[in-house]
Amino acid sequence: MIDLHGYGPRLLEGAGVTLQLAVLSLIFALILGLLTASAKMSRNWLLHKVATLYTTVIRGVPDLVLMLLLFFGGQMALNVATDAIYDRFGVDWYINLNAFAAGVLTIGFIFGAYMGETFRGAFMAVEHGQIEAGKAYGMSPWLVFRRIRFPQMMRHALPGISNNWMVLLKTTALVSVIGLSDMVRVAAEASRATHEPFTFLLPVAAVYLLIASVSEWMFARLQKRYNVGFGGH
Amino acid sequence: MADTPIPLEVRNIKKRFGDTEVLKGLSLEARKGDVITLIGASGSGKSTFLRCMNLLEQPDEGDLIVHGEEIRFKHTKHGREPADWKQVVRMRARLSMVFQSFNLWSHMTLLENIIEAPIHVLGKSKKEAIEHARALLERVGLTARADAYPAQMSGGQQQRGAIARALAMDPEVMLFDEPTSALDPELVGDVLKVMRDLAEEGRTMVVVTHEMGFARDVSSQVIYLHQGLVEEAGPPQEVLVNPTSPRLKQFLAPKY
Repeated sequence: MIDLHGYGPRLLEGAGVTLQLAVLSLIFALILGLLTASAKMSRNWLLHKVATLYTTVIRGVPDLVLMLLLFFGGQMALNVATDAIYDRFGVDWYINLNAFAAGVLTIGFIFGAYMGETFRGAFMAVEHGQIEAGKAYGMSPWLVFRRIRFPQMMRHALPGISNNWMVLLKTTALVSVIGLSDMVRVAAEASRATHEPFTFLLPVAAVYLLIASVSEWMFARLQKRYNVGFGGH
Repeated sequence: MADTPIPLEVRNIKKRFGDTEVLKGLSLEARKGDVITLIGASGSGKSTFLRCMNLLEQPDEGDLIVHGEEIRFKHTKHGREPADWKQVVRMRARLSMVFQSFNLWSHMTLLENIIEAPIHVLGKSKKEAIEHARALLERVGLTARADAYPAQMSGGQQQRGAIARALAMDPEVMLFDEPTSALDPELVGDVLKVMRDLAEEGRTMVVVTHEMGFARDVSSQVIYLHQGLVEEAGPPQEVLVNPTSPRLKQFLAPKY
């Protein structure tokens, strides 16, 4: 058994942070992605422009830069807002941006843009006749979405979602720059202190690999579910 | 018969796609038990006319009265649109459409396809919807395929299944959009037979078709369209047996 020089519990805690961060970011990114795809497909000119601006900017700037910008910039924006409230109403609402929440928001915000493109492509792949049949049978737009467009879209979106998730999972390692003790930060700290980088970094790599493998299995099951009725697999 | 409203009335429908006017003022009245067939060359506007009846296409002008209820329209920057989508949803539930390419929902089994709208649109209980669906499947000869997905069925089976799905809505009027055009010749007969049975039991139907035999045998009225206008209309004995318009004569003449 590897001697972790007493860093074991902290590493495990770090792994927990990584996993929670990744899962919560994924949920946020999926919601944001669906909204973005809907906005991009909407007839509303303004919604379309805002969504296009969002996906273009986010996908064109490095994740690390975005994370620092959103974390420090976000805190500054909050300070300006709370100062203004104090000056005007005398209410002290100082909010300290929690590093974990900031991490989730930032990663979710970044991957929402990628998910948006994945969803948009998937929605466009749904055959128009399937939607028309729903309309012709008196379904409301929401019912058509829930019962026909969404389940058929998911079949096309899942490979992309799965791919985005793998990248998202690894992107969580960047949160150490905003002071969050995920497992990478703990491992780096322990490596420096003990001069034994492999002792800590190899287990970290193994944990990422484990999460990735388990999620791949879960995505395969989901894919099977949404593939039902298509081409007899 | 003033007590029962006319199932479907369409007045002076006009529709343009860009610069082309495809429907130049078409009207139709489907009374209970009528079987109206729309015939014409491709590009004559017959499918577009049918699709205007349940507002899958938005007519630029004209009135639509379903079960005595007139659909209200408003003008927006995107053109003329229904003023009240709830009204549209309600009216669509009274009409049901059978498509050329079947359009059974591919992620549901045949049975699930048939019970979908009765449960979620009409608010029937699942048990009631399934019972009704089983009876309809028997009627169209697909009892054995209840749990098959559309991709596992032949075109003819899919279209008969789609007819069962349409019947499950207890529609006042059934709209058929070239229901046999996408089928292999040997599968057409089964679908036409189901449609003939429906006509005989007094269903109100509006059918866009190229099947002249069907039009002649079962329609109460045949409408021949040419370039978005009615060229000739009347009972099949007149329109199909003794056409007066030279264009219709040519259209009906054996092609080879």
